[in-house]
Amino acid sequence: MYLKELELINFRLHKSSKINFSDKLNYIVGGNGQGKTTILEAVYFLCTTKNLLSSSESEIVNFNENFFEAKGKFKELTEDLSRVLYQKDINKKFFYLNEKQIFRSSSVIGKFPIVTLTQPDHSITQGAPADRRKFVDMVISQTSETYLKILIDYNKILKQRARLLIQIFETKNYSLLQQLDSWTETLVEAGSELISHRIAFISDFNDYLKNAYSKILENAETPYIEYHHPEGTTAEEIKKDFYLKLEELKGEELRRCSNLAGPHRDEFTFRINGLELKKYGSQGQHKTFQIALKFAQFFYMKEKLSRTPVFLLDDVFGELDSYRAEKISWFLREVGQAFITLTDFTRFEKLNVGSGNSLFTVKNGCVEYA
Amino acid sequence: MLIAEPLQTAIEELGKLPSIGRKTAQRLALHLVKSNPEVVENLVAALTALKENLKLCSVCYNISVEDTCDICKSVKRDRAIICVVEEASDIIAIEKTNEYNGLYHVLGGVLSPLSGTDADSLKIKELLQRLQGDTVKEIILALNPDTEGEATSLYLAKLLKPLSLKITRIARGLPIGGDLEFADEATIGRAVIGRITL
Repeated sequence: MYLKELELINFRLHKSSKINFSDKLNYIVGGNGQGKTTILEAVYFLCTTKNLLSSSESEIVNFNENFFEAKGKFKELTEDLSRVLYQKDINKKFFYLNEKQIFRSSSVIGKFPIVTLTQPDHSITQGAPADRRKFVDMVISQTSETYLKILIDYNKILKQRARLLIQIFETKNYSLLQQLDSWTETLVEAGSELISHRIAFISDFNDYLKNAYSKILENAETPYIEYHHPEGTTAEEIKKDFYLKLEELKGEELRRCSNLAGPHRDEFTFRINGLELKKYGSQGQHKTFQIALKFAQFFYMKEKLSRTPVFLLDDVFGELDSYRAEKISWFLREVGQAFITLTDFTRFEKLNVGSGNSLFTVKNGCVEYA
Repeated sequence: MLIAEPLQTAIEELGKLPSIGRKTAQRLALHLVKSNPEVVENLVAALTALKENLKLCSVCYNISVEDTCDICKSVKRDRAIICVVEEASDIIAIEKTNEYNGLYHVLGGVLSPLSGTDADSLKIKELLQRLQGDTVKEIILALNPDTEGEATSLYLAKLLKPLSLKITRIARGLPIGGDLEFADEATIGRAVIGRITL
């Protein structure tokens, strides 16, 4: 799948822009605050009906105007026209697919798969364990609806169980402990299903990650994701160990009124040559790891969904030396359609726009073909 | 907005009913305004009768006209099986199938600490009372297959275990007449896990 045409009206700085994209690489070059990332934002909007950078829709509307509109023509087997319209006075967005209004965003999500690499993604390797869990959950959910459903159920059970723990703490009514047991059992059932999915995913995904990493750096650095889960290899063993952990922590849970073990607390450790990235990694290694994760996500999704996602990269070359930048630009050629923003093209002469790729310059919301 | 007060009140009251939105409430109210007086009277009578003539069965907590409901009174029913359901509406659904000939027990909800329902606020003690003596041989747990229903089933199963009864849970899986290709992944996944030998 690729995005053939994009039209923006009153979309931030873009008063009226119409762009024809290449089905391969699209470099978008311009100074700070000229409207480069806005183009990525619009593409993301059309693919997911959501904001790329979590600002509100009203901020996207060009000053002095009261609506914005983005239209995209996607080409796969058929041509699909996706259109989003936002009206500021009533604070409402309307979404159309082939001019038919869509009322549930879930009917669009998944139709146009997308992978993004933006600034906030640095937290995947540098942030808290929750950021790593979020990344893993997001990738699995996009390829397995079953996983997403179990995850939603699991989160519901967590809330119910936490509420019950508080209730026991407040009322000191220990007859409620029997009810806690049944919630524990439900938690273990759903939780161990999540764990099995994650184990299978990680062992699969590590190959994609190794492959992506070696394309960016040809040296002997080997990346690896380690998943810390309850011990055991079969589903039964995992369930048993998870159960034992909860039994052990029961007193502590009752004291602190929260769910202390389970997939919502399991950690993922990222390693390079066996060393923990978070503790020993340099800035460059972090950046390379983040980029490799996203490339791995791209190829993983492509294989699992049997469809090619669109790839958005926001200013990734800024922190890289020209050797890595060149490697990545070569790697990108294997991807399919990608949108890459850059502040300065001359610094990366080696990126050279090959045949079939496009280069655009953006200045104060106006797009020109270079 | 200037809407006559009685009309406004009727719209508000109708709007409180489940699955009735503002527009539907307005359409219903206006329809009643235009209707013949006896149509409205009949409706009012039917509604009042709901509250005046109906009560909960003292045995199974099904909706009933008399103190004991028709199902509990029936001599044709198999008294050895009790099917435990969440609400009286579930009885209607199971009765329509004509596949079940035992008795029922309505819990009146499921365990949900978030909405403040615990075991004491459900009709669980009443269920245990019914199980005294050895008439009942089997309990079928027919609660909804969501997280709350699941936790409640597990709770009941544990509670009933010492009583040496047969405890079963209704199967989950594909709907009859449904196409496999249109079923959602989670349902198919569960159906595969719960497959049976032929």
